[in-house]
Amino acid sequence: MGAATAATSALRRSVGTAAATATSAGLAFAAIDYLGVVSILAYAPGATAALAIGIGLLLVLLVAGLFSELNGLFPTAAGIRLYLGRAVGDRTALAVTFTYMTTVVLVIAADAFLIGAAVSHVLHEPSALAYLWIAVLLGLATAANLAGVRLAGALQSVVTYTVLAGTAVLSVIALAHPGTPLSHPFSILGNGAFSGVQAIAFALFLYAAFEWVTTTAEEARTPRVITRALFLAPLAIWIVATVFALSLAHLVPEPMLHGSKFPQLLLGRAALGTLGELWMLALTVLTALNTFNGGFLVASRFIYAAAREGNLPRQFAYLNLRAVPWVAVCSLAVVSAVVAAVVFATGQWLVLVSVGAAIEAGVYALASLCVLVLRRRDLRPRPFRLVAATPLSIVGMVVFSAFFLATGLSDPKNAHRLSPTPIAIIAVLAAGSTLYVRLVMPGVRARADARSAAARPKRRPERPASVVAGRHGGDDGSGGGDV
Amino acid sequence: MADWQELEEALADYTVSCNSNERLRRMQRDWSRTLHFICSDTDDTFTMVVERGEILATPRGHDGVPDIIVTTTSETFCDMFWGDLNPVQKYLRGEIQVKGSQEDVMRLDAISYVIWPDA
Repeated sequence: MGAATAATSALRRSVGTAAATATSAGLAFAAIDYLGVVSILAYAPGATAALAIGIGLLLVLLVAGLFSELNGLFPTAAGIRLYLGRAVGDRTALAVTFTYMTTVVLVIAADAFLIGAAVSHVLHEPSALAYLWIAVLLGLATAANLAGVRLAGALQSVVTYTVLAGTAVLSVIALAHPGTPLSHPFSILGNGAFSGVQAIAFALFLYAAFEWVTTTAEEARTPRVITRALFLAPLAIWIVATVFALSLAHLVPEPMLHGSKFPQLLLGRAALGTLGELWMLALTVLTALNTFNGGFLVASRFIYAAAREGNLPRQFAYLNLRAVPWVAVCSLAVVSAVVAAVVFATGQWLVLVSVGAAIEAGVYALASLCVLVLRRRDLRPRPFRLVAATPLSIVGMVVFSAFFLATGLSDPKNAHRLSPTPIAIIAVLAAGSTLYVRLVMPGVRARADARSAAARPKRRPERPASVVAGRHGGDDGSGGGDV
Repeated sequence: MADWQELEEALADYTVSCNSNERLRRMQRDWSRTLHFICSDTDDTFTMVVERGEILATPRGHDGVPDIIVTTTSETFCDMFWGDLNPVQKYLRGEIQVKGSQEDVMRLDAISYVIWPDA
């Protein structure tokens, strides 16, 4: 039977390294990343930003090692629930996962806002009309999702590589222009030690969500495909983000940069005039395809699964005739629209960067903890084993916790001040998730169980006891269920 | 553990339930897939051929190139095909392993959900 199993291990359609890398990079590289680079420049001006992004890469490669090991143990879309559950308990895992998923909403809202603002700017419309574009974008994304339309794997790869290559090429062109000389590349502590920490923490945000590629583990050709993608995607983002940061520092005056919602358009105009601006606008719109396709898909399916499991009200599992969980998709769209409206009204778009960066750093700290705990609790062989896992996990827990605080306490509008706003928002999200899991969810689950019990009796016919006893003779009772 | 006869009965019931459900047939009308199943405890294997949402055959053994591979115990398969358990719960606990695209995994669960919404 082993031969039969081996013979069926090849799927008709499976994901290879190039596609998985594109998925990982596409999930990470959103329009908000252009603003992320501006946040890094606020703490690490000029060429120093490149150093921060490089240090960020080294830390992200550690994260890639952590997630490779965890994904090897639990190669499934539900992996995060499984390894968090085994390491810190199921209810904590659920609360963390709910909080983690809110970053998807934040990124969708942020991208809708930023793209709407960029389109409105290029069309020389009054800024008030930007929200109309935001609503149109979210409406289109929702309609496409409800119709079951999604980017095919190949198209998704083309979009991602176009965005990365297009940004890099324009940045190199910008660097060739006469501008501010790039000096003091190593003054990472120039604005004070804490400023350096914050610069690196925001650099981490550029790579954020690259680890979501682990949710495609079930369609990967081999487990190593996901591992390779986890290491290759950050390298691609590192190259693009570095040349983009350097070109911004080189060509766009600092005062213009820090008040802008669309630094990429400023760079495009400075490098190639209207053509450059349109070039960067096109790339910005393309990022939305990945964000909306990946974001809506990941989050709505998570909500569906949680509702099917009995952890969210059952309405979230309702399917339309395209087998799309329409209540989940519509709820995501409404919440994203509300968040985008709040950002639009308050102008606090950089807060989203801080909140997203802090949540990601917190998740990386937890991933470090999971590797540490599971090395002791789960002794199964792993396709990928992190070298020096114990010391590196401890380093990860300490460093990423520090980055959680650094970004959570940053003032997005003034690099020299601290602000409790981002961490307060995260505290509200985490408290809401925890209260839901502790207080509301037990009731939701009890109602689901009661419905299930009342719906109908067990359908599977009972076997005569003699047949069952005969069949189970010699069985150790484990059921062989360790899959 | 369940033997092949039990699995066969469960599959037959599942096939009738799926194919007679109008809403499910409309929902899955663009879904044609070959599914391979592996019982991790008995090493039994079987195939399910779905064409435009209709289950055409469930032969023993593996036939054709799979779009989805599902692995769990024979007991879990039986309970799942009789609609006596919620496959998502088992999947989220790592007791059912699936290989295939997320969309196909979702479609597979949609079958159980539409036939037995309160399982």
